[in-house]
Amino acid sequence: MTVDNQNLESGAMRFEVIKAALKGGAAARLGRLAFARRLPIDTPNYMGVTSRGALPHLTPDNVSKHLETTGAYMALEDFIERPQQYAKRTPPIYETPTTTKHNTRLHSFTALPQSVTTVLSARRLPAVASPMGNTNASVSVFTSTGFQVLTTKEYLSAVKTLTPDIAIPPADLTHSPITPNSKRALRMAERTDEWVVDWFSELSDSNNPRISTFAPVLPVSYSIQWEYISRLAEDYLPTSQLSGLAIYDADLLPDLAEHCAALVPLPRLSLADPPTPHHILRQITLGIDLFALPFINTISDAGLALSFTFPPPTTTNTSSVSESSSSCTGGPSPLAIDLSLPAHATSLLPLTPNCTCYACTSHHRAYIHHLLSAREMLGWTLLQIHNHAIMSAFFAGVRSMLAQGVAQEGNFDEAVRRFTLAYEPEFPEGVGQRPRARGYQYKSVGGGEGRRNKPAWSKLDGKAQDEEDGRIEA
Amino acid sequence: MASNRTFTSPALTFELVARCPVTRARASILTLPHGAVNLPIFMPVATQASLKGLTPEQLEATGCRLCLNNTYHLGLKPGQEVLDAVGGAHKLQGWNHNILTDSGGFQMVSLLKLANITEEGVRFLSPHDGSPMLLTPEHSMSLQNSIGSDIMMQLDDVLVTTSPDKARMREAMERSVRWLDRCIAAHKNPDTQNLFCIIQGGLDLDMRRECCREMLARNTPGIAIGGLSGGEAKDDFCKVVAACTELLPDLKPRYVMGIGYPEDLVVSVALGADMFDCVWPTRTARFGNAITKHGMLNMKREMYAADFGPIEEGCGCPCCRPTEEEGAMGITRAFVHHNAAKETVAAHLLTLHNVWYQLDLMRQARQAIIEDRFPAFVKGFFGNLYPDRNSYPTWAVDALRGVGIDLIQT
Ligand SMILES: [Zn+2]
Ligand SMILES: [Zn+2]
Repeated sequence: MTVDNQNLESGAMRFEVIKAALKGGAAARLGRLAFARRLPIDTPNYMGVTSRGALPHLTPDNVSKHLETTGAYMALEDFIERPQQYAKRTPPIYETPTTTKHNTRLHSFTALPQSVTTVLSARRLPAVASPMGNTNASVSVFTSTGFQVLTTKEYLSAVKTLTPDIAIPPADLTHSPITPNSKRALRMAERTDEWVVDWFSELSDSNNPRISTFAPVLPVSYSIQWEYISRLAEDYLPTSQLSGLAIYDADLLPDLAEHCAALVPLPRLSLADPPTPHHILRQITLGIDLFALPFINTISDAGLALSFTFPPPTTTNTSSVSESSSSCTGGPSPLAIDLSLPAHATSLLPLTPNCTCYACTSHHRAYIHHLLSAREMLGWTLLQIHNHAIMSAFFAGVRSMLAQGVAQEGNFDEAVRRFTLAYEPEFPEGVGQRPRARGYQYKSVGGGEGRRNKPAWSKLDGKAQDEEDGRIEA
Repeated sequence: MASNRTFTSPALTFELVARCPVTRARASILTLPHGAVNLPIFMPVATQASLKGLTPEQLEATGCRLCLNNTYHLGLKPGQEVLDAVGGAHKLQGWNHNILTDSGGFQMVSLLKLANITEEGVRFLSPHDGSPMLLTPEHSMSLQNSIGSDIMMQLDDVLVTTSPDKARMREAMERSVRWLDRCIAAHKNPDTQNLFCIIQGGLDLDMRRECCREMLARNTPGIAIGGLSGGEAKDDFCKVVAACTELLPDLKPRYVMGIGYPEDLVVSVALGADMFDCVWPTRTARFGNAITKHGMLNMKREMYAADFGPIEEGCGCPCCRPTEEEGAMGITRAFVHHNAAKETVAAHLLTLHNVWYQLDLMRQARQAIIEDRFPAFVKGFFGNLYPDRNSYPTWAVDALRGVGIDLIQT
C-alpha cells in the first residue's frame, strides 16, 4: 500500500505502509512518510506542537541539536493578529523571504530547521472555543489581539503563501468538550464538505505541488459525515489531491475502514489531543500513524519529566523507573516524575535512567529541581528536551514492536497490555509553579493561570522583583 | 613570585600579553582553576546558576569561560546544604568553566529594604519567613567555599557612592578593610579558590587611594573596584577607576564591579580595567532589547514587525551569523518581534545575541590592544555608536582624553 503524490523532482509526499495487520482496516501499522527535503518520518510517530511558531522554550539551535522531532504543528491564528494601531497591516509572515536554508515561508519566518516537516492548521491545538462561532464562509480564530474572523478564502490564500508540507483544510469545529447535537453536527459536516470542495478547486488552480492536503475527519459519528467522506474518497483520492486524513476522533477509524476502504492507504494524523500515552497506544491500535501532541508542552510547564518506556520494563523491579515512585509496593509506576518535589534537591541522577538526551547526560535532577524552584526558564527548556526525547523513544519502541516478524504478531498487543498495567493511568499534577502564562492563549480558560503562582520574593521591594525574577515581562 | 610579565599565586596565574602604548589598556591571560580566560573580559551574570534560559552548552558556545553566580541567591536557593551535597556550583549547573561569586552583601543592601550593617555583618530579614538573619564575612566565605567559585569576593560594606555622609563613607571603607582580614582568615580553600579584595571609598579619590594602599597590603591575587553601581555621574565614575588603576600593580587582574554598558566597558578598558560584570545585557534582552554597535534596538517596536534582516548585520552570534555558516539559525528581527514578551524563546534568542555582543566587544578590544591599534578601535566604536562627534558624551571624551585618546580630533 503506497500513496505516492510524487511529481518528479518537486515531489510532495510519499507514504508507504511497511507493515499492516493481516486483518487490515483499523489496526496498528508501520509506515514511512516522506516529504521532499524533509527528514522522512517513520510511523507511528509524533510531531511537536508550536506556540507562535516556536516549540515552547526551545530555540531553533536546541531543536536541531537536541530533538529528534521530525514534525511541527503550527496554527495560522498564531501569526495573523491585528494590533490596534496597525489593524490593516499584512501579517508579516506572508512577506517573509525564503532562503536556501529555509525553503518555505513558514520555515523561514519561524527559523524552524528545514529538516522538520510542517503542518499548518487554522487553529491552535487545543484551540480556545470562540463565543462567536463559525459562519458559512469563515472560522472564528483567537489571536494575541483577540477573537477575529478568518475567512476560508484568506486561510487558503495563507496556505498557498506559506506552503506548509501538510495543510489541514478549514473544518467547522466547535472546540468544545460538549458533543454537538445532531442538527449542529450535520451542519458541521455540510460546511466542512463545502469548504473542502472550495479548497480543492482553488488549490488545483494554483501550482502548489508541495502542499499535501490532509482532510479533516470530524469528531461526529460516521453516519452524519458519510456524504462528505464519500466525496473525499470518490472525487479527491483518484486525482491525488487528497494526501491524508486529519483525525479529530480516532474512534471513527473502524467505521472509516469498513465503509471507505479506499481511504485506508492514506496517512492518518491524529489531532485528537490524546491526554496520556495510554490514549496514544489506543489510537495506534486503531490505525493512527502520526500524532500532534500538545501534552508535551503542558507536562514540561508543570515541572514534570516523562518517565515511561515502551515496551515497559519486563523486570518486576520497577523502581528503576523512578526513585520517587511508590514502586516498592509493586503498584504501577508514575508516567512522569515531579521535579519540584524536595526529594530531588540533591539527586545527581539523570531524569530517567538510560535516557540519552542532553538534559540527562549533561545535567541532573538536583539542577532541574533548583531551576524550577528558582523559576529559572532553563528548567522548562531542559524538561522540554527530555520530554521530547522520551516521546521519540516511546514511538521508536512502538515501531520496533510492530516491526517484529509476523510470527510474533501478538507482541505489540501484549506490550500494550503490559504498559497499561505497568503505569498509572494519568499524569501526576505537578506541584511546581508554571512559567508565567505566555500571553493570550490562557485568557479564556478563566484567567487562572496568572494567579496560579504565588508572587516570588515577597519581602523584596518592587524594583528588586522586577530585576531578578526569571520571567519575561509582558 | 612575579616575573615582569607573569604573576602566580596558588590558584591563579596572570600573564600580561600586551599593553597599549597610548592608554592604560592591557591584554592578558588569567588562568584560573577551571581554565584560562582572556582579559579584558565581560562576565555574564547567571544569578541563580542559570543564564536566563540559555543552556550551559549555549553559553559555552558564545566563548564564555567565566560567568558570575550570586552568593545571596544561591545561599537561599538551593542553599548551602544542597551545595555541599551536590559538590558546589560547577557541579550543580554542569558548568566546567570558571565561576566568580560576589559576597552576597551588595545584593542584600540593594534588594532588601531592611538590611542594616553593623561591625559584625549585614543584618536582614529572611525573604523566606521574615526572620532576622546575619551575613558576616565568615558566613560569606563559608558560602562561597561551598559554592566553590574560582573567584570569591570579600564581604564589603557597600554604600551608594552618592551618599553625602563622609563619616559614614569612611567608616564603610575602613570596615571593608577589616572585613577583608576576617575573610582572609575564614577562607578555607586558598589553594583552589581566589579571594579578591574590593576597593571602597565612594567618590572621594583620596579615600579610594587610601583604601587601595590598605587593600594592596593584604596581597589578594586580584583586586576589584566596588561601589560604582550606576548612581554616580559618569565622569565621577571614570575618575574613581582612573585613580585606582593608577595605584594598582601591573600583574594583577582588575575587576570593576557591576558595569556593562558598552561605552562604560570600552572607556574602562582604556583606563586600565580588565574585568566587568552586569545583569543589564541579559535583563534588557527580556524586555525585547538588542544591543548592537549602533546602539540598543527595541525589537517590540512595530518597525521590526516585517524586518527580515538579522538582529544585527555582521554579528557572529548563532542568531545573526549568515545562514550558510555552521550553526546559524537564521533568526530575523521579525521573528523576535513576533514573540517578544509572548514566548520565552524570543528572550533566549536576544540573551544569546546580547551576551555574544558583550563578549565579542571585549574580544575585539583585546585584539586591538595586541595589534597596537587600540586608540583606533575606541574611535571606531564611538563612531559607530553616535551619528556624529558632537553627540559623543562629554564624560567619555574627557575620560579618554585623560589617557591620551582625543575622540573629537582625528
Ligand atoms: Zn532525558
Ligand atoms: Zn547576533
